Amino acid sequence: MTDEKTIKIHPVTRLEGHGELTVKMTKDGKVKDVQFNVSSTRFFEKFLEGRFAEEAPRVAPRICGICPVPHHLASVKAVEDAWKVTPPPAAIKLRRLAINAKQYSSHALHFFALAAPDFVVGPFADPAKRNVATIIKELPDVGKLALQVMKFGQDLVTAVGGKAIHPVTATPGGMLNPFSEEKRDIFLERVKEAKDWTLQTVDLAKKVVTDYWDPITKLAIAPTYYVGLHDKGNLEIYEGKLRVMNPEGEIVEDFTPRSYKKYMGEYVSDHSYATHIYYKPVGYPEGIWRANSLARCNVVDKMATPLADEALQEMRDKLGRVIHATFAYHWARIIELVQAIEEIEMLLEDPEIVSTDVKLSDVEPRKGQGVGCVEAPRGTLIHNYWTDDDGLITKVNMLVATNHNIAGIEKSLMVAAKQVFEEKAHEGLKLPDPMIE
Amino acid sequence: MIMAKRIALAQLTSCWGCDQSLVDLHLTLLEVLPQLEIVYWPAVVDYKLKDLEAMPDESIHIGLVEGSCRTKEDVHLLKLMRKKAKILVAWGSCSCYGGVQGLGNQWELKELLERKFLKADTVEDGRIPEEEMPGFTESVVPNTEIVKFDVPFPGCPPTSENTLEALSALLTGKPYDLPEKTVCDQCPKERKEKSITKFKRAHEGHIDPDKCLLDQGYLCLGFATIGMCGAQCPTVNTPCKGCFGPPPGIKDHGAKIISALGAIADMDPEELEKAFPDPIGSFYFTDYGASYLSKIRDKEREEK
Ligand code: SF4
Ligand code: SF4
Ligand code: SF4
Repeated sequence: MTDEKTIKIHPVTRLEGHGELTVKMTKDGKVKDVQFNVSSTRFFEKFLEGRFAEEAPRVAPRICGICPVPHHLASVKAVEDAWKVTPPPAAIKLRRLAINAKQYSSHALHFFALAAPDFVVGPFADPAKRNVATIIKELPDVGKLALQVMKFGQDLVTAVGGKAIHPVTATPGGMLNPFSEEKRDIFLERVKEAKDWTLQTVDLAKKVVTDYWDPITKLAIAPTYYVGLHDKGNLEIYEGKLRVMNPEGEIVEDFTPRSYKKYMGEYVSDHSYATHIYYKPVGYPEGIWRANSLARCNVVDKMATPLADEALQEMRDKLGRVIHATFAYHWARIIELVQAIEEIEMLLEDPEIVSTDVKLSDVEPRKGQGVGCVEAPRGTLIHNYWTDDDGLITKVNMLVATNHNIAGIEKSLMVAAKQVFEEKAHEGLKLPDPMIE
Repeated sequence: MIMAKRIALAQLTSCWGCDQSLVDLHLTLLEVLPQLEIVYWPAVVDYKLKDLEAMPDESIHIGLVEGSCRTKEDVHLLKLMRKKAKILVAWGSCSCYGGVQGLGNQWELKELLERKFLKADTVEDGRIPEEEMPGFTESVVPNTEIVKFDVPFPGCPPTSENTLEALSALLTGKPYDLPEKTVCDQCPKERKEKSITKFKRAHEGHIDPDKCLLDQGYLCLGFATIGMCGAQCPTVNTPCKGCFGPPPGIKDHGAKIISALGAIADMDPEELEKAFPDPIGSFYFTDYGASYLSKIRDKEREEK
């Protein structure tokens, strides 16, 4: 149809990644299609071929500079699985420390820099003002809180991984560098403050939730499946089993990541370089699912730590158990922020964290196939490598976090676009006065 | 008070790590931000491409370009940034050397597309996406080979301190020059220049934290890599992979490493070849796109 109208948002801002949004409307003002166009990709799954498998954990973090730790760790776990190596317990604790530290800074970045401008400055403010720089300038207390929270996480990743962006210390068989008592003591001291900041962030988030209750409960409610990692029902990001929940809120699968191919399919759409991962037994588009914070909070029975679990129960009291409200992702992120800081504190208090027994010295490359699965802030991450007798990579299959969410994003944007363009629902929403004029 | 300078930050195909490294200035950002008038930075600010297109030429004081050209849209954005910015900075190793994605140049674009969209284990009924899609470049080359840059600023990513130093210089109108040092010069471990008879892979044995990694037989590329990062990796017992690229003046990073290895290793060429079955991955981590080898391939492709 030639007289349909196309609205393009190019690029989608406050998003880490390259995206454009296309909304197609019919001439009588009906939303026909919403496309999320991911406009670039780099082909890691091909150019990892032929490399030393133990070098993959150095290459893979470059898939994402915002969440390099999960890639570093999914990669090293895939090699260890292929070579049948189990690292010493202290190495695993160090890795857990790093991934929680990243979860912590990434969730803070998302909340303060990507999402908060809408809540604090207001969704319809001038673009010159609707950003974190304005928050820093005009609400210096909130700005400072944001920066301190992010800094704590990034500093801790650096302490364990050598570099916050593209960490280097995980290698098949363990960690190349132990955690010194000196560093441990510094972070044990700093974690007290960080916990305080976390609780302040929770208060701020609670205010946002109360203020924006109307849009949270009315806009972009999109029923989908959900996928996420758990350990005996607890929310888990380093190692566990994967659960799938259906739109009705029932757990329909619970499987080990090694068998992911039975449950996860990639749909290649014509309008995106990022594939859409979906629940394979049901097919596409029926099996569209979402990952990330809300998905994890949906599929687990409870959080792994006490304060976080209180926060989860509070969200469930208000919104129920399967939550489809897209804006609740922000809430879930804050719940996970709390779990991250509680896990960090526990790990720092564990005497084994400074053990020097962090690496096996007799790791042998071998022919095999291995799967490494962790939760990145944005969702389940799977690296699958095949290696030859010398431990060179011969093939790679990878399912990255963002791709679990693309179809779900389109689905929720479709709901929101219909509400906005057809029903003008946003005009009737109760919105608070912005905190910055 | 200094007048705020108009600054634009553009991301071509990249991992956003260079961006994150700037954000990781954290509290120091409070001092830097008032000096900047951000006119384009999609990660943080809601300006759109059309806003950038509408700006007068050379109206941006400092333009930072992260990432390299993997799509045709990247090329458009790169050229646009050159037109709009007075001082253009090649931000990070992607921008200076093509970045890790340059390793894809070992294959034809067709093979890359097939692997991802048609042959992946989890893909069924694949296809090459085309609707509203920009299309890919045949290979990845350094941005500096597409447009002229005023300031090369390598690193994967440059550290937050590097970023602060470069920005402070540019904001005050001072020149920013790359250091002539290597990572070895910054490393707390002392290299004794031991002659190596066998190379060890990163996972093998135990690294002695008090000794130079190269002396122990691990391929640490600090000796052939520009010293900007403060030797981050060797400091935590991990070999340098050369992610900041070569010191100034050296055109081909890997060729330099290979020729140096002849002197470092007491091994005959066949043994060396056996030790490094993947020379491209081992010696050109983030700069294969800038290598002679990759250029020769591009030429052969053009002739075909
Ligand atoms: S140079 Fe490195 S950190 Fe910067 S965008 Fe490229 S891959 Fe990411
Ligand atoms: S450990 Fe690496 S960077 Fe340090 S002195 Fe030795 S070769 Fe140079
Ligand atoms: S030590 Fe080498 S690999 Fe590590 S950050 Fe520095 S230049 Fe990059």
